[in-house]
Amino acid sequence: MKRSKHGKIYRQSLSNRLVHWGAAFSIFSLIISGFGQMPMYKRYNIVKLPGAEWLGDYSITLLMHYVGAVILIFIVFYHMFVHLFQKEYDAIPKRGDVKESWKIIKAIITKGEEPPSEKYLAEQRLAYLAIGVTVLILVITGIIKVIKNISIAFIPHSIVTISTTLHNFATFFLIFLIIAHLAAFLIKANRKLLPGMITGYVDEEYVKHRHIKWYKKLVDKKNRS
Amino acid sequence: MSNRLTRREFIKNSSGAVVLGTVLLTGADKVFAQTKPSTDKGTVIDLTQCDGCSAKDTPACVLACRTKNQDKFPKVDSDHLKPYWPQKTYEDWSDKQDISNRLTPYNWTFVDKVVVEHNGSTKEVFVPKRCMHCDNPTCAGVCPFSAIKKYENGAVVINDNQCMGGAKCRDVCPWDIPQRQAGVGLYMKLAPEYLGGGVMYKCDFCADLLKVGKEPACVNACPKGAISFGTKQSMRELAYNRAKEVAGFVYGDKENGGTSTFYVSKVPFEKIDKAIKKQKQETNDFKPGRPTMEVNIENKLDSFSGMALSAAIAPIAGIAAAGFAAYNKLKGEKNNHEEE
Repeated sequence: MKRSKHGKIYRQSLSNRLVHWGAAFSIFSLIISGFGQMPMYKRYNIVKLPGAEWLGDYSITLLMHYVGAVILIFIVFYHMFVHLFQKEYDAIPKRGDVKESWKIIKAIITKGEEPPSEKYLAEQRLAYLAIGVTVLILVITGIIKVIKNISIAFIPHSIVTISTTLHNFATFFLIFLIIAHLAAFLIKANRKLLPGMITGYVDEEYVKHRHIKWYKKLVDKKNRS
Repeated sequence: MSNRLTRREFIKNSSGAVVLGTVLLTGADKVFAQTKPSTDKGTVIDLTQCDGCSAKDTPACVLACRTKNQDKFPKVDSDHLKPYWPQKTYEDWSDKQDISNRLTPYNWTFVDKVVVEHNGSTKEVFVPKRCMHCDNPTCAGVCPFSAIKKYENGAVVINDNQCMGGAKCRDVCPWDIPQRQAGVGLYMKLAPEYLGGGVMYKCDFCADLLKVGKEPACVNACPKGAISFGTKQSMRELAYNRAKEVAGFVYGDKENGGTSTFYVSKVPFEKIDKAIKKQKQETNDFKPGRPTMEVNIENKLDSFSGMALSAAIAPIAGIAAAGFAAYNKLKGEKNNHEEE
């Protein structure tokens, strides 16, 4: 299916958007229900807030955590394999990304010129790797924690302890990464990317100026076909 | 190099990935889900024998447990006790260490006494209570710090160096067994006012004695021989044989999905449970530490087995959906190309 809109560039497919928002909602539900497992809602009187009584019920928050986990695991595997099958590796960090992301940050601060970017900025690729690895750690340790709760299964306690500790630390790290991800939109230059994750399209002018390498590829592809 | 994907490459890539995924997933269960060792130990508590050591101030099993475990009891500096912010209270039993008629951090077993009507007569029933050492302990399953371990010999043990005292284990235990003491443990080294609540304490099946082939302290101490100890299988058989002999009932085999403790009683456990609940109501005693005996109480972790299966299927479903989506895209691109 061909998608074109005057003055706009199609940046995020429906599949990508569903993955992004599905992951966002499931991770949000996992954080809410995960904190319920700590346990903290009763201790800090959160259950006394109107409509929040259910947060103190482990059987509800645990069920919510399992449902969120099943959705997230499905999305993570779908995401990894759909890009593997299609040989799409735009978001994978490249050599020199750390240096390049520093150049972009410096350009934003000094209002100078940014280096030409691909579909994703160098810091976006690094952020993707950080979030991806953290989510994978959470998924793997979470699966070990699930197996541990099955009566016929036996997992050595040392593995369970390592998984639990990693799961707890990775949760806090993921929350930090999500805050950083959202904070990126405090920078005006990045806000032009927002519609991409909602409608799929971003302004052509924006792409032309910031994602020069990607734009060139799109123009070349158009000329070829 | 072109990034364009041919149909042949796509099939090669996807079949390899599916095979790899399947191998990883099926292999993982072999690594992690080894067969559970059958070295479990168990006990039988024969209520037809126990008289609660009526002639003594403290039942012998309770005394033996307290003596044996006194070094493990919490040592609290009361000057450092602070409420669990923003709550105004904290759980402190350090000034009530002598209490022996309920479970506390300083009393890991007690003998409950109830009066029940059965077969037209009134009977006094004495019920020694402590951790049941479940087969799939809910407390260990849900502990957010993995501070509770189920040993191969069946003992369920709380690691007091790892416990933060959130008391979740007590909330999910069908018998509210673990009891909390504030002012001790890991949380005191972090932010004691704002995080954690102490350490949870309970019977550890005398895990150290079991390790060297000895019996738990309460077993030896009982003057009536009401507590038996052996392999779990032999204890289960003993319990059912004894129940048959006295035309009685067994508690602990089915409850919470199975435990290492088998009670035998002539009086149905429904009646014992009802009597405990009635007494708790009459004395307005709803604090944890005096467990009820609900028959066939289910293990909440078991109800999540279906969800665990969904979690196992999710990766395969994700890979299949990815294959379907990628194939459709490839087909779409090919059709467009042919049209052009």
